[in-house]
Order: sequence, then structure tokens, then C-alpha cells
Amino acid sequence: MAQSPTAAASLPKSRLRLSAYGERVAAYTILAAVFAWLVVNFLDNPQQFLSAAVFGISNGALYALIALGYSLVYGIIELINFAHGDLFMLGTLFSGFIITVVFGSKAMSAMGWVAFLVALVLVILFCASINMSIEFLAYRRLRHAPKLAPLITAVGMSFVLQFVGLKWNGSTQKSQPSVLPQGYIDLGGVRIYTSFLIVLAVTIPILGLMTWIVTKTRMGKAMRATAQDQDAARLMGVNVNRIISFTFGIGGALAGVAGLMYEQTVGTTRYDLGLQLGLIAFTAAVLGGIGSLPGAVLGGVLIGLIQGLNEGVRYGAGQRWTQSVVFSILILFMVFKPTGLMGVSMREKV
Amino acid sequence: MTETQTAVPEAEAPAPAALSAENITVTFGGLVAVNDVSFTVPDQSIVSLIGPNGAGKTTFFNALTGLYQPDRGGRVVLNGLDVTGMSPNRIASLGLARTFQNIRLFNLMTAEENVKVAMHSHLKSGVFGTVLGLPWQRREEREAHEVALELLDFVGIGKTAYEYARNLSYGDQRRLEVARALALKPRVVLLDEPTAGMNPRESAAFVEFVHRVRDERKVSVLLIEHDMSVVMRVSERITVLDRGEKIAEGTAEEVRTNPRVVEAYLGSSAGDNHITIADEEGE
Amino acid sequence: MAQPNFAVPVPQRPQNVDRTKRSWPIGFAIAAVVIFIFYSFILPYLTPDIRTVVQHWMPLGTINTALIWAMSALGLNIVVGYAGLLDLGYVAFWALGGYAAAWLMSYFVPVSAINILGNAAPGTKTGLHLNILLVLIGAAAFCALFGVIIGAPTLRLRSDYLALVTLGFGEIIPQIFKNGDDFFGHNISNGTQSIGPIDAVEGVTARTTVVAGVAQHTDVGWGDLLAFDHSGRFIMFTLLTALIIFISLRIRQGRLGRAWLAIREDELAASAMGVPLMRAKLAAYAVGAVAGGICGVAYALQLNRMLPDPFTFSVSITLLAMVVLGGMGNVWGVLVGALLIAWFNSTGLPEIGDTVNGTFGTNIDFPSYSFLIFGGTLVIMMLFRREGLLPERRTRLVLHEGAAGDTQAEEPDEELVDQAGAVK
Repeated sequence: MAQSPTAAASLPKSRLRLSAYGERVAAYTILAAVFAWLVVNFLDNPQQFLSAAVFGISNGALYALIALGYSLVYGIIELINFAHGDLFMLGTLFSGFIITVVFGSKAMSAMGWVAFLVALVLVILFCASINMSIEFLAYRRLRHAPKLAPLITAVGMSFVLQFVGLKWNGSTQKSQPSVLPQGYIDLGGVRIYTSFLIVLAVTIPILGLMTWIVTKTRMGKAMRATAQDQDAARLMGVNVNRIISFTFGIGGALAGVAGLMYEQTVGTTRYDLGLQLGLIAFTAAVLGGIGSLPGAVLGGVLIGLIQGLNEGVRYGAGQRWTQSVVFSILILFMVFKPTGLMGVSMREKV
Repeated sequence: MTETQTAVPEAEAPAPAALSAENITVTFGGLVAVNDVSFTVPDQSIVSLIGPNGAGKTTFFNALTGLYQPDRGGRVVLNGLDVTGMSPNRIASLGLARTFQNIRLFNLMTAEENVKVAMHSHLKSGVFGTVLGLPWQRREEREAHEVALELLDFVGIGKTAYEYARNLSYGDQRRLEVARALALKPRVVLLDEPTAGMNPRESAAFVEFVHRVRDERKVSVLLIEHDMSVVMRVSERITVLDRGEKIAEGTAEEVRTNPRVVEAYLGSSAGDNHITIADEEGE
Repeated sequence: MAQPNFAVPVPQRPQNVDRTKRSWPIGFAIAAVVIFIFYSFILPYLTPDIRTVVQHWMPLGTINTALIWAMSALGLNIVVGYAGLLDLGYVAFWALGGYAAAWLMSYFVPVSAINILGNAAPGTKTGLHLNILLVLIGAAAFCALFGVIIGAPTLRLRSDYLALVTLGFGEIIPQIFKNGDDFFGHNISNGTQSIGPIDAVEGVTARTTVVAGVAQHTDVGWGDLLAFDHSGRFIMFTLLTALIIFISLRIRQGRLGRAWLAIREDELAASAMGVPLMRAKLAAYAVGAVAGGICGVAYALQLNRMLPDPFTFSVSITLLAMVVLGGMGNVWGVLVGALLIAWFNSTGLPEIGDTVNGTFGTNIDFPSYSFLIFGGTLVIMMLFRREGLLPERRTRLVLHEGAAGDTQAEEPDEELVDQAGAVK
């Protein structure tokens, strides 16, 4: 019976709300701290700050390309494709192979541009077909398995691809010459590297193309239908296997483009590059809201910016802490805002 | 707190309520799934919640058990205790047990283990005690084991105690869900479409079973049910939901003759009283 | 499925559960004793040829390393196998346990030497020098605390997000130790310079005392009973492994183990049955972390110093491969999987490589294939034998749900049991 009406009043029924309030305070505090840090650094040395920011955004564009691959695949089969970063690493190796070995181009020239364009096409095909094969050989059989199984498989695939990279490129860092124009433009003390402009020139049209494919084409509509409900999509006549395969293809293509751009702008690569950059890119995808394509781009640029500033400004923690900074952001976001900046929340069905 | 009993409309019964819900509203985004529903489950009674598909019955259940948070202003009072906003496991351990519409057993655990999981909040052994195998923890385990077997016997599946839950037949799985719910020592048991997939004879036996649960276990039973023959025979009171709103409440006879109820059902399904829709509803 | 369906109407616990319950621990104990006797008393009297072969293929040091890996894998098994929480950053606990040992039993902590039943090297002027038992308890508690700290924010997350957050911690914590020579202006780990040497462990009692701030040699206690060479470590590591196995098995049987399994099976139903998800998951992290901490201490003792470089993501993955290979949730399977992989990784692969290269005159860098082997193992196990080599009975049932035509659910292979003996 209602024997303890007084005890009821004192029970911690508002615990949830309190912690939600605390979370909000914590989130705003962190945002305020970040903002203050930005302002202090900007005032300290505006040119340095802006140069670092531009450099960061250029990296961020590459992260965005990789993040899109994660986001696409996650959006459609809810799998964190751990092997995606390593696919990007293979993309860098393959691009280097085409440009430097096959074409023998070592500096900017007309031949270099031809090599660059051919490499762009080939690396897209190369990475797309690898990604599709992985899906076909491994993930497809595990589509109805417990969630842990495909995830562990993806981790395993990541190691297999790293092995390929290790055999291909050796265990040490190797650098390849770039065929892109070098140098920078000086805008009032702010350095804007030419490579940055080229990265943007390649990245932006590709992002536009992606958006067009996903929102306007039949294939894109089928993709979105499959992402929402595979069974329903199948009933509506969508070939789900083909759509998923196509999605992996697009993701792979983006990783390939990112690989080429990275190889041509940063230039150094190693078999474990994919692990590092892949995790950063995945963080970007989560930051933007996984499953959301504009979110992945936004997240990529933001992470690039954060990294650039962290490494480039006076009060930054420096390169040796980059990994920790990025992962701290990942953890903070996953804890406080798991839907990311542009994601939609999901509720489990009962 | 003290106005709990008086605030509930239509609570003529002087017996204190085992469970009462006040002004429960659940919205998903802009969609109102349950709109301002209040109702009471008197102590040791059998109450049904019916309504056409998508009426919000399961959502309402989930709001009661803490899986969903009711919107501001709603209150769930269990056994005189305001449990609004508490976590599902806290509400469960305070005496509100449930079964699931689409059976959710722990498939790779034996029937006996399934029941013992639900005793979690009534047992005390911690990490150290378990590792060291202290005498009182061994005794506690033994007692839990006996209680589990007794409960399995009560629901009639004592022989399958060491079968994995997934190997049980469909009917036995439903019974195991009830045994598991009873292991919480609840005041109120919520049964979510317990006769789904049963044939008429099994349903009839089920009516008996619900009475036994109530009488021997001294609990209140709250049913979501589609099978009107079961509902009419078993329920002391019936609440009807339609499109998230409570449209009627009363005894079987009152509900059966209520024009709004008839309209709700006629509008959505064949006209007779025997509406047996086995499968899922919305949300 | 090969499981008893409706054919066994009598409510009795399946017989072979009880059989395996006894045979595995006994086998473990016998194997340990046999190995100890062999290496301590028999091997020195064998011919040099045989000794060379043994030293190449199965040195006692390798067995000790394998035991260290096994401790960690068993800890990870609690988190992944029991509670179903994918932890990709388990290496963090290993590092934390190791550094806890380095702090508690070396010159490193900048205070005047404090000796608590420890074995400070004579002449040491600074640092904490605790007895090894105290260090183990301290490291276990330290890691349990970190398990809770790392676990707490992840609890509400979905399973795949949780994997990422643990991965994040698994990268951050080793990086902190790596850059620890200047952690907000403090030196907490000597950075890549490493902390060493760690105090010797000689017996269970103190052999040194601190006089006037300097450690002095005294000869109290029965230190000489257990010189801390390879055999001394072997005894200690075997006992620690046995302890972790014991804890795993006991907890699995109790209230908490049931709650973990229920969470693994159906989180939502578990919470509706009164299982407090947060507390149960935190407990899984904490208990798993304890094993990681113990393993870290053992690692520090084995190396006699602590350095941050080995703690990479691939360690976490190797541990995961051990758990997966052995059979998630099955303590003995994980033990066998861990010993096999650890041996293969440290000794087997290089030795096989040398033999092949020597025989065929090739020049293949076999250890570089470990990436392929581990990655491939994970993929192939997940595709074809998800329940592991020695599956837990119940896992075997479920993992083949939906995988039509797969009929590999036989009893634990006896030959593997023999192999397990052969490894040790």
C-alpha cells in the first residue's frame, strides 16, 4: 500500500534531469574555453594563426573525403569500416606508384599533369574495387550476424590491408615527389600554399558530385531507402546487395581521391598511415554526425582546423599531442552529443 | 504525494492503487503518441488496456516502465511512490515487472538463469563475496536457485529449467517471460499481448493462468490484449485507447456498449467483437 | 545444432559441463608443474642438441611472456566475452599497471627512499619500494579505478561507439606516458627514456631496509628460496594467471556474471528485469581492468623496466584476436588462444621463418607477416568459426543463428586440448 508517501518525495527522481543540466553546463564550459583559446592565439600572432588555420583547412578537406567514406558505409549498414583508413593508405601508395614509377614524373610539367589525371582515374578505380571486394568477400556474409562480428572483421581487414602496405612500401616512411606546383601566395603575411588551392579545386567538385548522386539520382534514392529499411527497400524492388556494393564503391573512390591528394601534397606515407588518419577521419565523421554527408564534410574541416591550430600556434599543445587532442574531442562528442553536429538521433524500438 | 489517490479521476474504489498514471503524454518529435492519459490499477486487480493498432498502448507501457520519459506534467506512481523519471531497472526493482510483445528472453541462458537474472535487485552478492565464495553468498545463490525452480514450476515449465531459452517452444517462452517477471517480486505485472500467436484453447487456458497469477502471487495484472474474448473474460476494468487518447474506461460491459469504442474499432477493423490481430502494432 | 533440444526432459545440469569444470583446472595445474620440473631439473641434464632446440623453440622466457599475454586476454574476455562490450583500448590498462609498478617499486618517485617490505637495490636513495604483493594490489586498484573512469562516459553509448571511445583512451593513455617527461610540466614517466631498473623480487619478504635515507642490504627473510630468474617468474606468472582464471570463473557463476550475460544478450530486457546497466557494465570494466593491471606489473617485472613504446593499437588487436580465436566468453579457450598466439608471435613465427629460410635458402621476413596472420585470423574466424576454437557452449549456439548450412558446432576438439599441453 502507499505506506511511505514521504519517502517518495525524497527519491532521486530528478537525477536524470540534473545530470542533463550538468552536461549542458560542461559542454558550454568546454566551448567557452575553446573559444577563449582561439581568441588568445589569434591576438598573439594573427598571421601565424591564419596560416595555421589555412593549413588545417587544407588537411581538413582530405579528412572530409575520408570521413565521407566512413559516414556513407555507416549510414547504410551501421558498420564502422575500420579498413577504410587503410584503403586510403593504399590509395597513397598506388598514386605514388602511378605517378612516380609508371609515368616517372618527379616535378611539375605537362607530363606531370597528365600523370596526375590518369592517376586520379586509376586510383578511384583501384580503391573502389578493393572496397567492393572486401564488402563482397567479408561483410556481406555477416550482414545478419551479431554486430560484434562485422566490427571485428573490419578490424581484421584493416590489418590485412596494412600488411599489403607493409610489403609494398616497407616499414619506414617513404616520400614521393609532387607534380603539383609548389610555393605559396602571401596575403599580408598569411601563407596560402598552392597545393591547398588544388586540394580545394579537386575536393569541392567531388563533394558536389557526391551530393548530386545521393540526392538526385535513382541510385542515390535507392541508397537512402536501403539505409532506412533494407527489407522495405527490397520489397520495393531495390537490389540491396548492389546498392550496398555501390556505396562501398563510392566510399572507396573517395578514399582513393584522398590518397592521391595526400600523396601529392604531404608526400610521405607509411603502412600505418591509414590507422592514424583513418581514426582522425572517423572522429570527423562522428563530430559532424555520422550518417550525415554535410556533417562529415563539416567535421573533417573542423578537425583539420583544430589539428592545424594545435600544431601551428604558440599556445598549442604541439604535434606530439595531436592524437590525444583529436581523441579527446572524439570522446567528448560521443559522450555529450553522440549525434554529432548535424546528425539525427535514433531511438531503439521496443 | 498524498493527493495521489484523490487526483485520479474515476477512482471510486476505496482500495489504494498499486499503480497509477497521471496525465501521461509521450511525444516523438511533433508526433503525439500518447496524449494526456490517466488511469489506475487497483491493488490485486486485473486491468486491460485495449485499442486498435497504433493506438499507443505499447508506448504507454514503455512510459510506465521508464523506457520512455513521459512529457512534463505526467506522473507515474507505483505503490505510493513517484517513479517518474527513474531508470527502467529502478522502476522494475521497485515492483513493476513486464513481459514483451515480441518475446525478449536471454536466449543463450537457461530458463533457470533467465529467472535468476530478474532476481538481481533482490540479491546482494558483490564481486568480492562471489570470488571468495563466502558462506552467506553461497546460501543466497542456493535460495535463488530454489526460488527460480519454484517459479518455473508455477508457470508450468519446471521440466525445462536447464534448457536454453531459445530452445523452448513458443508457448513455453511466453511462460518463461511471466516467470521471469514474477521473479522481480512485483506489485504489478504488465503483460504485453501475452496471447499473441495462441490458439483459442491456449487462450482460454491463459485466462485461468492470469487469475492464478493474481490470486497466488498477490499481484495486479495489467494486460495489453487484442483477443477480445480474453479481454472480456479476464478483466475487471478495461481502458480503451485510440490514437493516443483514452476514449473509454469501465467494466467489460460498459466498454462493450460504449459508442466511441465501437466506432474506434469499426473504423479500423471488421465490426465484430472478436478482433484478433496477432502481430505488431506501431511505434 | 548439436545441443539437447527437447530430448532431455529431466531437469539435470548437462553432464559434460561438470566434466570440463574439473578437467581444465587440473590440466592447467599439471602442465604448470610439468613445465617447471622440466626446465628446472630435467633440461640441464639433457644433451646440448636438445637444449638448443628447446632454447630456440620454447624458451622459458617465451612461456613467461605468453602468460603475461594470457592474463591480459583473460581480462579482456571479461569485458568482451562476458559483458559483450567491445573494448579496443585494453592496452591502456596494461600500460597503467606497468607504470603503477614502475612508480611503486623503483627509484623513480622523487622522495627519499621509502621501503615497505620491498627490495630496493642497495644504495638507492629515492623512490617508493613496496613489496610485490602490495604493488599487485595497488596496481589492480589503480587500474580498476581507471576502468571506472574510462568506462563511465561510455556506458550510454551504443556498442560500436563504445568501441571507438575505448580505442580513444587506448591511444591517449600510452601517448601520455610517451610524452610523460613533460606532462603539464611534470615528469611522470621519463618519456621514451623508460623507468628502470625495477626492484628485484626475491622471495616474499624484504631484503633491504632504508637507513639514513639510503637502502641497505639486510638479510631478513627467506629471499633465497625464490630467486627471480625465469623459473621464479614462471611460478609467479602461473599463479597470477591462475588467480585471474579463478576470478573469471567464479564471477561468471554468480549474480554479476548472470547480469553481464543478460546485458550481452539483450540490454533492454536486462534493464527491464531490474539489472542496473551502468553499474554492471562498470563492474565489467573494473574487473577486466584489474586483470590488465596485474598483467602490467608482470610485464614490468619481466622487462625489469617500463617504457611506453610497446603499447600500441596492435596490442589491443592482438588481445582481441586471442579472445576471438579461443572463443569469446570461454576462459579456457581464451587461455589456449592467448598462449598459442603469444608463442607464435614471439617465437614460433621467427623460428619457423629461420627454419624455412635455412632449409630452402630463401630470405623471407616471416615476422612481417604477423599483420596478415592476425588480420586474417580475425576475418576467417568471424566468417567461418565465430564461436572460436574452444567455444563456450552457449556462444556456439547463437553465433550460428542465421548462418545457414554451417554445421561446425561439435564438441571441443580433444586434439586442441593436447596442443594446449604441448604449448606449455
